Amino acid sequence: MAKRSLRQLLNNRQQQSYVISLGAFCASILVVSLACVLFLITLRGLDYFWPRPVQSISFINAPGQQDQVYAQIDERHINSGGNQTTPSAWVFRYSNQAFPYGRQLLLHSNKVTLVAPAPEAADILLNDGTRVFSEPVAMTLPGGRSATLSQFDQIKREVSDIRAQIEAVRANRLASVHRELASYDLRQVADDAPARLRLYEEFNRWQREVTLLEAKLADYQLVTRFNDGSEFDIPLDDIARLSYPGQLDLWGKLALVAAGVGDFLTDAPKQANTAGGVFPALFGTVLMIFVMTILVTPFGVLAAVYLNEYAQDNHLTSVIRICVSNMAGVPSIVYGVFGLGFFVYLVGGNIDELFFADALPAPTMGTPGVFWASLTMAILTLPVVIVATEEGLRRVPAGLKSGSYALGATKFETIWYTILPMASPGIMTGVILAIARAAGEVAPLMLVGAVKFAPNLPFDGEFPYLHLDRQFMHLGVLIYDGAFHSQTDVRGASLMFASCLLLLLVVFVLNVLAVILRRRLRKRYLRGY
Amino acid sequence: MLKLFEREQLNLAKLPAEQTAIEVRDLNLWFGDKHVLHNITMRIPRHRITALIGQSGCGKSTLISCFNRMNDLIDNSLTEGEIIIDGRNINHKKENLSTLRSNVGMVFQRPNPFPMSIYDNVCYGLRLQGIKQRRLLDDAVEQALIKAVLWDEVKDRLFETATTLSGGQQQRLVIARALALKPSILLLDEPTSALDPLTTLTIEELMADLKKHCTIVIVTHNMQQAARVSDYTAFLHQGELVEYSDSDTLFTLPHKKQTEDYITGRYG
Repeated sequence: MAKRSLRQLLNNRQQQSYVISLGAFCASILVVSLACVLFLITLRGLDYFWPRPVQSISFINAPGQQDQVYAQIDERHINSGGNQTTPSAWVFRYSNQAFPYGRQLLLHSNKVTLVAPAPEAADILLNDGTRVFSEPVAMTLPGGRSATLSQFDQIKREVSDIRAQIEAVRANRLASVHRELASYDLRQVADDAPARLRLYEEFNRWQREVTLLEAKLADYQLVTRFNDGSEFDIPLDDIARLSYPGQLDLWGKLALVAAGVGDFLTDAPKQANTAGGVFPALFGTVLMIFVMTILVTPFGVLAAVYLNEYAQDNHLTSVIRICVSNMAGVPSIVYGVFGLGFFVYLVGGNIDELFFADALPAPTMGTPGVFWASLTMAILTLPVVIVATEEGLRRVPAGLKSGSYALGATKFETIWYTILPMASPGIMTGVILAIARAAGEVAPLMLVGAVKFAPNLPFDGEFPYLHLDRQFMHLGVLIYDGAFHSQTDVRGASLMFASCLLLLLVVFVLNVLAVILRRRLRKRYLRGY
Repeated sequence: MLKLFEREQLNLAKLPAEQTAIEVRDLNLWFGDKHVLHNITMRIPRHRITALIGQSGCGKSTLISCFNRMNDLIDNSLTEGEIIIDGRNINHKKENLSTLRSNVGMVFQRPNPFPMSIYDNVCYGLRLQGIKQRRLLDDAVEQALIKAVLWDEVKDRLFETATTLSGGQQQRLVIARALALKPSILLLDEPTSALDPLTTLTIEELMADLKKHCTIVIVTHNMQQAARVSDYTAFLHQGELVEYSDSDTLFTLPHKKQTEDYITGRYG
């Protein structure tokens, strides 16, 4: 009855316009929410790189004790509650004699007595990811000489040269001596054999040179002063970057942002993943996705070809199809548990027993690693690839198949030369969806190989170069980790957002690549169909 | 009627083996429970054009598909009887389908070029046979395209995608693709029904030309076409071969009432 009255109320045109408005409303909600997510993540992510001015802050640390420090203000919590007696809070990071490498503090605003800009103070980023806020005064050089700050860049270059010399000696001389000594150990050369003694001597010679250079390096110091007048020396070798955020103009700030982004992309995480870069995680994510794609594509395509071209159209086939579709709905953590139980413990454990028995009980393959993670993700994304490939296969015109058969092609030849090329855009659609799904998964990865911190990349100069048995870092895991331990560390939280932004970019770039590839395939194989 | 005197008349019932391209003996075919072809027995003469006509669903496409066993691709099809080509019963279980199909080419109603270059389309069958030498392929492509009267139009764009060709060119390309394998028999399943009249004419001229190289069997709905191009015509009705004789006789003096009704348009 209500339906009829509605129909009577609105004519056809009105009904149509209402339906269109409703659809447009839904679509716009979607776009707006997507834009909000992107905006928030971009804003908070870029905030991590934006230089903050160093300020001079006085605060009451303990009753009757006034501290004056250089600090960067991370956040100001304005209390918006109706209770006027509760003061607002400050979160800032400061350096002084007691905490030269920075300390984060949350204080009520009524304990902060003075805040003033301090353009003279520098934000000194150290190699280990910590920061010192102090005013550089002078530099001391070896032999009791000293230099003015204007020579900073030149002296810094000198220091880097010495550091490069040390590293060169380590890599070219000491490493080879070490290797040779190890081979002597293996061959059980006597401790007092002349060859061994000669090696020891060589080793000592180079070691002495390194020690000398190190001692020289230690004499290069930057003398700085904290806000309370106390002095603090920082070895120039430890300094990664020195900047005066209070004196920078826009371009200077942008240059600093660019340097920060560069470090973020190429550096390893420092200070328990709250500082430094995310390169190992970026590398791990991309590597995992690539290996997964290489594993899942042939497997999914073969399965789809079998289901679509070879399997008889009976109940069993439809049951298999339903199972494949349902596999896409299984919670990802279940795949993680499966990967751990099946791949890591069962398959990996047996491989260890068969091939790496001499290393047992230390596991070689029977431990979570990037290969098992990729394999688990391949299983997880398999249904997506199968369904999309089947879709592509079904769209190949029947006339082409008979055309190929009529020229004497066998079934396999027809599939290989005609059907698969025509279905390749559909296959690419499946791969795109698989990449999108795999890049976002975190839970299963934590069970089968992704860790918070992995000192070694799965790729290095040692044979076989790609170590797929190693554990790896993953951007998603880094974000997850960051979300839990950085409740108080505001910069760490920003790093988390920056990682989110990077993860989005990685997924976006991989997808764009796949879409471009698909478009080329479409142009090549589907033009005119 | 000038045509009548130019032609030597073959006695279809007593066609000698060396003049027979395809001999069909008691052919029966079922799709599942449906009996599609009933006891077909006929001899198709060598280097002639034989047309199969009849209503939609009378089994003419099915019959032509028997000659290169394309019906095998259809689930639950069952064939009984013998089809003898070059002295071999192709319905035998051990018949090599790849060899058979490269000897008996087929062209379909809709042009179906593969999504590759014109050159690769023509090479498709040869490459399947393992021929890789560029020189051989080049020669074969040129010969096939010349035979299909397409060479002059596409010789400058051999490596462009075949799907950019027009419908008539595509159909001639598909014919060239079959000719590249040097088949002794060419089956044409309504080759012009998706083409315009002018293009149809070029394909018909091509057929008359191709008679020199191979036996042609054509299925058509168009009776003028059958009368124009074919030497012999078979009329099928509900899966039975009603009448089979030279085209002039069939179209001018049909023996059977059903044939007369059909060609004069009284039904169908």
